[in-house]
Amino acid sequence: MMRFIKPFIMPAVALAAWGTALPASAQDKGPIRIGVPTAIQLQIGRDTQTGVRMAIDEINAKGGVLGRKLEMVVADETENPEQGIAAIKKLTADEKVDVMIGGYTSGVTLAQLPHIARSKTIYMEVGAASPAITQRVKSDYDNYKYIFRSFPINAAHQARGLVDFISGMLKDEMKIQNIAIVGENAKWVQDLVPILKKGATEAGANVKLSEFFDTSTSDFSPLLAKVKDSGAQYLIVILSHASSDIFVKQWYDARFPIPIGGIDVKGQDQDFFSRVGGKAISETVGNFAVRAPLTAKTLPFWDAFVKAAGTAPVYTGVGGYDAVHIYAEAVERAKSLEPDAVIKELEKTDYTGVAGKMVFDETHDVKAGPGFVNLLFAQWQADGKREVVWPKQIATGKMIPPPWMQVQ
Amino acid sequence: MLQILVYGAVISAIYAMLSVGFTLIFGVARILNLAHGSFYALGAYAAYFLTSVAGLPLLPSAVLAVLFVAGFGVAMERFLVRPLRKSQLAVLMITLAVSLAVEQALLITFGSEYRNVPSFVADKVTVVGVDISGQRLLALVVSVLVLLGLWLFIQRTRLGAAILAISQDPEAARYMGIPTDRIFSTVMAISAGTAALAGVLVAPFLTVQPSMGLLPMVKAFAIVIVGGLGSIPGSIVASLMLGYSETIVAYLISSSWTELVSLVAIVVTLIIRPAGLFGRRAAF
Repeated sequence: MMRFIKPFIMPAVALAAWGTALPASAQDKGPIRIGVPTAIQLQIGRDTQTGVRMAIDEINAKGGVLGRKLEMVVADETENPEQGIAAIKKLTADEKVDVMIGGYTSGVTLAQLPHIARSKTIYMEVGAASPAITQRVKSDYDNYKYIFRSFPINAAHQARGLVDFISGMLKDEMKIQNIAIVGENAKWVQDLVPILKKGATEAGANVKLSEFFDTSTSDFSPLLAKVKDSGAQYLIVILSHASSDIFVKQWYDARFPIPIGGIDVKGQDQDFFSRVGGKAISETVGNFAVRAPLTAKTLPFWDAFVKAAGTAPVYTGVGGYDAVHIYAEAVERAKSLEPDAVIKELEKTDYTGVAGKMVFDETHDVKAGPGFVNLLFAQWQADGKREVVWPKQIATGKMIPPPWMQVQ
Repeated sequence: MLQILVYGAVISAIYAMLSVGFTLIFGVARILNLAHGSFYALGAYAAYFLTSVAGLPLLPSAVLAVLFVAGFGVAMERFLVRPLRKSQLAVLMITLAVSLAVEQALLITFGSEYRNVPSFVADKVTVVGVDISGQRLLALVVSVLVLLGLWLFIQRTRLGAAILAISQDPEAARYMGIPTDRIFSTVMAISAGTAALAGVLVAPFLTVQPSMGLLPMVKAFAIVIVGGLGSIPGSIVASLMLGYSETIVAYLISSSWTELVSLVAIVVTLIIRPAGLFGRRAAF
């Protein structure tokens, strides 16, 4: 009997042994795979990849993490939730990445969350700002502990940064009382505007008008006319997915007699000024990072990025770069790739990044404020030069009015 | 109020230019051209390419862009639509395919980022007390002139008479010796050219982006349904109605509601008067 069975048993045993041995050997020698789900057609997405690649190259040059090299796998999540879910599935089920670093559109990330949670893969957000993303960590820790946001600061923190700009710069420095707020109708703006309105009112400003518009709006003249009629002296804009390009062009073409500034994500792009034919002049844009000595890493990173990509980074470039380093250090400390062990170490993160000190709060969201990452206001000035005008401590230039409002 | 009057006129004029070409090719050749929005996008991209990449001055770029798109339209009609013209469904499919192909081609060639076309007129103008950018005023004036020219062309020339004849009775027109195929090409060139011109004129104050043809296409469709498929006066009246209702909604309610206007207009028209305001028969 045994003679007949033996030929079957031997390979079966060998197969079983090989089966258990394979994952172990792969874990010892194979590279650590970093999945990057992002909108690859946009500068946001290209810069995420550049930032991640720069950090990977630096770490690999020093011998990798736990003796293993890092490698990047990219998936296009576009600005569409369905594509976003497909990207997560591709990275977790097909590519079997160890961690994901990416994101841009809050609506997409929110749709991805259940799929990320199910895959039990650590996800570090570097693009989307809705506070709702990390709220899940608090409300359902066991399922959503995999979610971290290392960048940018969330919409509520951004609102506070804007309030600081309104009270410090507009009210105290420029003696402006009346403001109007217009924002695109998107999740993160709906989260941000109520906080902004409350904060601005408490700071003593009069919010004369606050209005949302559809992200596909292509004619802003009715909106601008309303702002003009409201008696506002400064127009705060909150834009990311809508066309900042069209908005700024129509504002300039109408020689609109009210200066603009606020959070304009596409207005952070290095080529924004040339893309709108210089019509962004005097727009003040809140940035998450600028080329100023914010930390010891800012200038070296910035210049290396410009060398690598040929253009200055938008915020996701900074976020991607720091996120890889934060993850790598957490893995080193945990001495393992086990998500639970790495999460424990990530929660203890105290890391000086490109834009400031990075510490996670209890919802795995990066902290903001003095000493941490801040919102920095830079104004587009002549010839597409950007001057930091707020916070005052790091200002590089003076605020200028739009050319048609210049007092002769 | 005056603001509504002036801005509404600009939007209506652009809508009219878009929808007249769309309705013309349907009225004459029975082609429901879903690639009409692509002509608009191609016009804008051609203007961007010629001014920003090739470095040509604006005016010749605009003329070249319109001619290029007119040629593209003619080629599409000759090689893709004409062989399939027996089946309206097949025509619908092939034009939809062209519009998707154009969008993808633009995406691959230029990326999804917004592009800029410089303004023809950089100054601000004040009309009846309303501040308006010169470029918008130019768009209004050019649209009105083009529509007027088109009307004269159809009413006063032999070719125009032939176009009218075919739209009224293609069969009889053919028996009279009117070369239908050549007329179709001419009408396609006019249709594509006006859409491209609309794209070139609005590109400086809107923007240039691969999917920019979709929304104008939906608007043109809505206008043509409201006005009656195939009716040029119907399209112009419907353009004015839609342009002004959108502007009024944006001023009095909110900009986030404007995109609903055209959809509501379609539904209401289809329920109350499926043939449209000036339509001779139901479109479907």
